[in-house]
Amino acid sequence: MRFSGRFALVVMSAAALAAGGRASAETVVKIGAALSMTGPAAVYGASQKAGIQAGVDEVNRSGMLKNVKLVAVFEDDGSTKEQGIAVFQKFINKDKVAAIIGPTLSNTATAADPLAQAAKVPVVAISNTAPKGITDIGDYIWRVALTEAQVITPALKRMHARLAFKKAAVLYGNDDAFTQAGYNVMKGALEGLGIPIVGTQTFAKPDRDYNAQLTALKALGPDILMVSALAENAAGIVAQARQLGWQVTIWGGNGFNSPAFIKNAGPASEGVYAGTAWYKPSAEPVNQAFLKVMAARGVDPDQFCAQAYTGVLAIAEAIKLSGMKGGRDDIRAGFLKVKNLPTPVGTFSFNKDRDGDHTPTLQQVKGGKFQIVP
Amino acid sequence: MWERLVDLWGTYESTLGYIGINGLLALSVYATLSCGQLALGNAGFAAIGAYAATLLTVKANLPFPAVLAAAALLPAAVAVPLGLPVLRLKGVFLAIATIGFGEVVRLGIVNWEYVNGAQGIVAIPRKSGVFTIWLFVAAALFLFGRLRGSKWGFALEAIREDEPAARTMGIPSGAYKLAMLALGAALAGLAGALEAHFTFMVAPNGFAFGRVVDMLVFAVVGGAQVFWGPALGAAFLTVLPELLRELAPLVGIEPGPLRLLVNGLVLLAVILFLPNGLASLPGRLRQRRLAREAA
Amino acid sequence: MGQQVINGLFLGSIYALFALGYTLVFGVLDILNLAHAAVFMLASFVALALVGGAHLPILAALPLAAVVAGLIGLLLDRVAFRPLRARADSNISGLISSLALATVFEAVALQVWGPNVSRFPLGTVPEGRPIPLLGAEVSRLQLVTVGVAVLLFVSLTWLVRSTRLGRELRAVAESPRAARILGVDVDRAIAAAFFISSALGGAAGVLFGLAYNAIAPDMGRSVELKGLAVIILGGMGSMPGAVLAGFALGLFEVFVVATFGASWRDAVSFAALFLVLVLRPRGLLGAAALREA
Repeated sequence: MRFSGRFALVVMSAAALAAGGRASAETVVKIGAALSMTGPAAVYGASQKAGIQAGVDEVNRSGMLKNVKLVAVFEDDGSTKEQGIAVFQKFINKDKVAAIIGPTLSNTATAADPLAQAAKVPVVAISNTAPKGITDIGDYIWRVALTEAQVITPALKRMHARLAFKKAAVLYGNDDAFTQAGYNVMKGALEGLGIPIVGTQTFAKPDRDYNAQLTALKALGPDILMVSALAENAAGIVAQARQLGWQVTIWGGNGFNSPAFIKNAGPASEGVYAGTAWYKPSAEPVNQAFLKVMAARGVDPDQFCAQAYTGVLAIAEAIKLSGMKGGRDDIRAGFLKVKNLPTPVGTFSFNKDRDGDHTPTLQQVKGGKFQIVP
Repeated sequence: MWERLVDLWGTYESTLGYIGINGLLALSVYATLSCGQLALGNAGFAAIGAYAATLLTVKANLPFPAVLAAAALLPAAVAVPLGLPVLRLKGVFLAIATIGFGEVVRLGIVNWEYVNGAQGIVAIPRKSGVFTIWLFVAAALFLFGRLRGSKWGFALEAIREDEPAARTMGIPSGAYKLAMLALGAALAGLAGALEAHFTFMVAPNGFAFGRVVDMLVFAVVGGAQVFWGPALGAAFLTVLPELLRELAPLVGIEPGPLRLLVNGLVLLAVILFLPNGLASLPGRLRQRRLAREAA
Repeated sequence: MGQQVINGLFLGSIYALFALGYTLVFGVLDILNLAHAAVFMLASFVALALVGGAHLPILAALPLAAVVAGLIGLLLDRVAFRPLRARADSNISGLISSLALATVFEAVALQVWGPNVSRFPLGTVPEGRPIPLLGAEVSRLQLVTVGVAVLLFVSLTWLVRSTRLGRELRAVAESPRAARILGVDVDRAIAAAFFISSALGGAAGVLFGLAYNAIAPDMGRSVELKGLAVIILGGMGSMPGAVLAGFALGLFEVFVVATFGASWRDAVSFAALFLVLVLRPRGLLGAAALREA
């Protein structure tokens, strides 16, 4: 009895020493990923999770952070503010993460980010594209995703020359911070180009019937319909518009940038335009490497995946620039120094407002897939 | 050791707070159930209280006690003109009318730009903690406890059992019902305000029909025959999902569906087999034991 | 204008079909069956399983799903309502137990199909050119939906007016005790009422799922309160009232959206509900006497 007890003790100590020995050479930096795995934003969240996990694995594999190991902790923010707040609290107080990546929706971010700011935990927004209300929460909130203003305004200007819109109609969701902000940007962009808005209609996320709104707008005879919606509503809107026999040019905001939109809208999605932050066919080595990494995982990446991956790269770069230190303030200090970082979405720097800064692109659905518009 | 406690607190603080908030909400529904009225407008009253409190804090920076007083008084004031026409309705009709009221309040908020419509107001400073919330629950329980043996309490019971008979006995049932509606509204408003200052945000979709259904379920499961039943039901049903979350992987069901399933089954079991709720369980067990001993 | 009328009639026919079932149970039993919306949702998923999994054509899946919904209605009656019939407060406790089962149904749907939106496979509804009518474009699906609603209403009216079951239901609605004395098998009649009511709700669910191609465990939520508004507006227990009010609400909503904007749509419906209850509780076509609690 006593002999086996002591033997066990010896074995356990040896194991502990070995494990401890390994651990003392390696620091683990936890990143909390608050993503929408359920709810209206779930299609984006799934894509983002793949991108984040790939990013974390690639950073660890490449050894760029020497003995610092990144670990991602995933939680579902439910596409709601309430759950987002609960997840952030868990990350900040229980998991004690060094940084938070996400949440998926701007709507959730407006409620949850203030907690991180108050607790001095850096947040990297990878898909919050509402221009106001995100990074202006405070100096711990950073963003790699381009805002609707950065994407829609230049793209619309470019296409206006080609397609010469004379009258516009707008349909947007008024119960979400992102779609509301998108509307404001679209309105501003149209006014800036001198295109009169002949009609505006709204809907809410749970709505499924848009016939009344679409019929009302169709009667006003616009030649472009701009829609600010999340993927689920977007699919329904586009399908019903075509069902009503309305062949108008449709232009969507960032919510359209998911292949789930094309799949759910079916043939009705043909010809729909959307501005995007990611130039998929880019020949840049970083982008090609990213595509290869995702292909090896059996994932066909979309913009959300690419931006999520970029977010992880930004965090890794910040840690590196802080001298391989992974504390909350180290990462924030590192962000201040990130400059010309090669990422799948392009050469990346944070601008003085802590927002991302790189060139956007325009794409259109052709043959059931998004194709870049030259 | 101390760190462990702090950690535990951090994890469960939200649950503990919600036990209190849900307790207040359940008691708010009990206020009218105690005189036999199924009034389900409490989500609307909670919304009025929550938004009034939020605006007073965020825009006018009033001290918290004043904010809470407003949050209780304003819904109560609204309850009076609502109750006068609506309390004439019976049973299910009263329920539907009050549900309609709750929805109208919610939709009014959705369409009100000043409060940001459907997106709600965020970054509300945290002013109510678990202790404040539980203090109010204790106060409410004390109030209802005092009511029980008093003239007021007997009047309510009489109205619940047989309203026409009570009126024949000279009890002004209309006035009592209105008073309880107002009391329920005040409690709901208070709960809404405490919640807004506990969760940092307020939004209209938190006051949808499902919310008042939850309140009714707390009251029924806990037992609407005694004043502490609803609070018990609220505590039980708030803690249950937390326990179930641990259980879910063992049973092979996702936590979301499992929570709903158990809620539904508990409610069904209670209404079929234990109609006076969990509060009546000790009494029933005692009866059964006595019957067995007598045999 | 014509298009908006079509839109309104289409939406209204789904409301009408849903409310028909609701009001049937209320008319016979004085009970609000809060599980009706859950049955609506389950039927849609059943149709999805039949079309997507068993590869049945939608024309077969629709009636089959409605029948399954009817069977669920029988279960509802047996488990949630029958045991409570003897109780004094049976309509309130019935309301609560139906709520309990609704929660269980939603849990089942969540576990089996997940919380996200499911869709019918492409090509479920045969694609076709919209049919021009009254200066508007009507899709085949819209036409079928309105047609099914009218057909089912007519059949139900015939059933209640001219068949023995219908007479039994009307007897039970008047007084269960008297009906029993007269030899009516009250439990069987009520079960039949639940079967029919749930089958109607189920048909509405399948049509709704097809119409918007979005099926999710919480899809009943948008309709459950509207259904309540419809039966109040039409008069509790009145079947023609439910259908009329259903179509009226559909048209009303479409015009409110087109004129004032979508945010006002629901607010106006509930305000109308509230006013009706306070001013004219019997609704458009309801019975003169208010039912006691």
